[in-house]
Amino acid sequence: MGWTGKLLHVDLTRGTCERREIPAEILHAYLGGRGLGVRLMRDFFRLDPFDPDMPIIFAVGPLCGTNSPTAARLACVSRSPLTGTIYDCSAGGRFAWRLKAAGLDAVFITGQSARPALLAIDGARAELLPAGALWGKGVKETVASLKERGSVTAIGPAGENGVLFANIMMGEGNSIGRGGLGAVMGRKRLKAITVQGEGTTPVADRERFDAARADVMRLFRASPVIFGELGISEYGTPALVDLMAQRRMAPTENFRATFFADSGNYSGPAIKRECGAKKEGCYGCPIQCKKASAQGEALPEYETVNHFGALNGISDLHAIVRANSLCNELGMDTISAAATLSAFGEARGRFPDPAEVASLLADIACRRGEGELLGLGSRRLAEQLGHSEVSMSVKSLELPAYDPRGAYGMALAYATSNRGGCHLRAYPISHEILRKPVPTDRFSFSGKARIIKIAEDVNAAVDSLVACKFAFFGATLEEYGELLTAATGVEYGPESLKAIGERIYLTERFYNCENGFSRKDDTLPERFFTEPGSGGEGIDVPPVDRERFSEELQKYYRIRGLDENGGFGGRNILEELP
Amino acid sequence: MRDQISKYTGKLLADRSACADGIAFAAQDDVLITAGAPGLAELAGNTLSRLNSLALVAARPSLPFADFLIARAAEGEDCIVPQDTETRTFLHDIPFLRRKDLTGDPSPVLAKLLGNRKGVIVEGVGIVAVGAITVEQAFINYSSVFHSTFVKYLQDVLADGFRLPGEREAFQAFRSQWLRPLSAAGLDFVPSLPGDKEAILDEIERVGRYTVERGLVDSFFGNISAAAGELIYISQTAASLDELKGCIDPVPADNSSTTGITASSELLAHRKIYEQTGARVILHGHPKFAVVMSMLCDRKKECNIKDCWKDCPHVRDLGGTPVVAGEIGAGGLAKRVPPVIGASGSAIVYGHGVFTLGREGFGEAFATMVDVENFCREEYFRRVDGKVL
Repeated sequence: MGWTGKLLHVDLTRGTCERREIPAEILHAYLGGRGLGVRLMRDFFRLDPFDPDMPIIFAVGPLCGTNSPTAARLACVSRSPLTGTIYDCSAGGRFAWRLKAAGLDAVFITGQSARPALLAIDGARAELLPAGALWGKGVKETVASLKERGSVTAIGPAGENGVLFANIMMGEGNSIGRGGLGAVMGRKRLKAITVQGEGTTPVADRERFDAARADVMRLFRASPVIFGELGISEYGTPALVDLMAQRRMAPTENFRATFFADSGNYSGPAIKRECGAKKEGCYGCPIQCKKASAQGEALPEYETVNHFGALNGISDLHAIVRANSLCNELGMDTISAAATLSAFGEARGRFPDPAEVASLLADIACRRGEGELLGLGSRRLAEQLGHSEVSMSVKSLELPAYDPRGAYGMALAYATSNRGGCHLRAYPISHEILRKPVPTDRFSFSGKARIIKIAEDVNAAVDSLVACKFAFFGATLEEYGELLTAATGVEYGPESLKAIGERIYLTERFYNCENGFSRKDDTLPERFFTEPGSGGEGIDVPPVDRERFSEELQKYYRIRGLDENGGFGGRNILEELP
Repeated sequence: MRDQISKYTGKLLADRSACADGIAFAAQDDVLITAGAPGLAELAGNTLSRLNSLALVAARPSLPFADFLIARAAEGEDCIVPQDTETRTFLHDIPFLRRKDLTGDPSPVLAKLLGNRKGVIVEGVGIVAVGAITVEQAFINYSSVFHSTFVKYLQDVLADGFRLPGEREAFQAFRSQWLRPLSAAGLDFVPSLPGDKEAILDEIERVGRYTVERGLVDSFFGNISAAAGELIYISQTAASLDELKGCIDPVPADNSSTTGITASSELLAHRKIYEQTGARVILHGHPKFAVVMSMLCDRKKECNIKDCWKDCPHVRDLGGTPVVAGEIGAGGLAKRVPPVIGASGSAIVYGHGVFTLGREGFGEAFATMVDVENFCREEYFRRVDGKVL
């Protein structure tokens, strides 16, 4: 129950597709999604991200296929060419649900095709087909030409051309973003995957499942962040624009400032008013936080509006929407694209205007002109320009739209994240800003080492269920543990799920350490320790206290059982794990 | 974290939910610390060290109701399921450990139970509650378990009478000694709330504090607001009403800004109440007797509705205050309270709490809440006295 126990092994070099069993004990110990993908990387994590033998894994979770709220998701796992770390990204849409309906928990793709290829999955059948005619096409056209084959996930020109922050785009507009897994797929010459299936996911205990689902929905309705009249269901994540401005922590002009006076132009209410935003979302999700224009065009998320807005000094909402659409069409991560442009702007002394943004995005995707360098991401770009200080990244991953000077848990979490400067690993914005499940003092490091460690474990489990992080603005692992138990017939609870999350997190950390990552990488760009943010309205935004930061990092290592260099002290943790 | 432990120990004493000599906390960052009553502190530390959480409180409640609920539970039962909103929404059920099953160190089994639920009752020991990420959270969960067991025990006594030796005497002691007269006497209110921001914030902070001090709300529940022109000043979600400084959101009436995304989950209810009544201020608390009485319904035997708390369409009456159903937030309360609250200036939500209005200031809203709770308290004891228990 819950799992199909099947994996589709695809070898692009040999042109084979083969269904294999996944041992039940591995599924029980790693759940699915991120956890399963990370476990399946055990024999491959040392490979170069572009090595033909480097796998790229799409894995759903045990709740996918049931009507668990927000669970029609998958994780895509490989090693990031941008960061060099183990990498996973959670994505929604319909693809995950159809993959499960095709009887699969995961697709494991290895090798490199001699020619552009399409992986087509239809129920029990899977085949590799030529995709030469699609190579070079944008995401929209690719998806449209394959829609008869079911749900589509595809790369755009950015992935084909090896842009280090290229996305894999889901046909419904969602993306597998940030770490450049689109470039991994592109190097394998795999243009797209299509899937359809008719299978259903049985539930072990329907009565218990329905009760748990009712509990989850009650908590969603009680959460102002989810279903409140100013929440993300109503306005999408741009609901955060006004809040981040008020809290003085909206990254502006490459993080030189933390307040952008014109941010109201792209706030949630402004987007609703100007673009006629309507609700959309992942399959079966009650929250429907995605927003689309009246013409059906996907509208940008909070991070995107801030980074194409404040971070580049642009206040024109329609220019930001165009930049978002362009990234989606070319298959690029909006955060890294905008942050790399911003670093470029600071280095040359002029941020790009809206017209230049559009032309540079096209150049990046095609790796032409300045786009060749920009396509490497901000860290490599800054180093090559002789201004390494302008890359606002951690482990080469560009920071999203929460300035760490405004939330110290966020500062620590950026540093400890196993995939680089990501807000979603521990998601302390939830308690430091949104007051869920309880508020914490955003300008204090007190207790944050333990809090971040716990949240990283929780979110590793959430990414393996696979559920959406937004669900946890209301619900907790108590309710999702009940859903999982009812769906699978295997008893899980918050503590056992956190233990699974810890197992996943330590595995990722171990992979990274084996690949040379250590304490030296667990830090923030120098700017945050030396320059203040934009205080105002009674809020002071001083630089992060380096000493306290280091002290808290060492606490974090001790809590994690790591040595003072953030490593395992010669211990091979993989030998201790299932 | 020691300052947090000290703070929340003080809160448990101030709200009289725990015995002064029976409070202990444990908290862990990179090291585990414990504080408080030695035996309980050891239990707290041993239990927390087995959990992937930050804090834990173990305390002996000031009332024996939780132990009575365990003793009254049928053999084979291992949890109690109170019907109030706080429990249903956040706790789901409350597991318990019986005294006879406690052999040796109970911390392993306690940790196992707390691995699935926020709070556990250990017969003869007390309430043990965990805080996943803060000490405050442990306090909140303790407070919710105390609230839930209080409400359920009073309901059960009214329904089934006393069943155990010593229950009657303990109940009498509770009635005559633990309970204190409830009034608004000695409290100062601004008679007519001015329009300027600072004065409004000051008054909201002060009245929030009064609401906690007079026992009209527990832990971080309840909310409070004032309307001023095009703005609603409302307490933030997860804000304790006695600590509202910096925790009040100004929310534009036209939703032109979303800074109020951190506002109370009842923002919509407040907004609609203002629209439909013209009130100036709103106070929402969880006074216990009102919660108990709101769940008593004469029609339960012949009624087909199972989920009364959300599905009951009827407007019942408690001493002139309408009682309606409706879940928190977007769940229906915001539809059912606004149409009925205007006439009496108060409304009770089934199993949840009380909303009251002030046309000029908080004095009226506070006094009305006191009146509602006093009516419910008197009515409860009238019914208890009317039964042969």
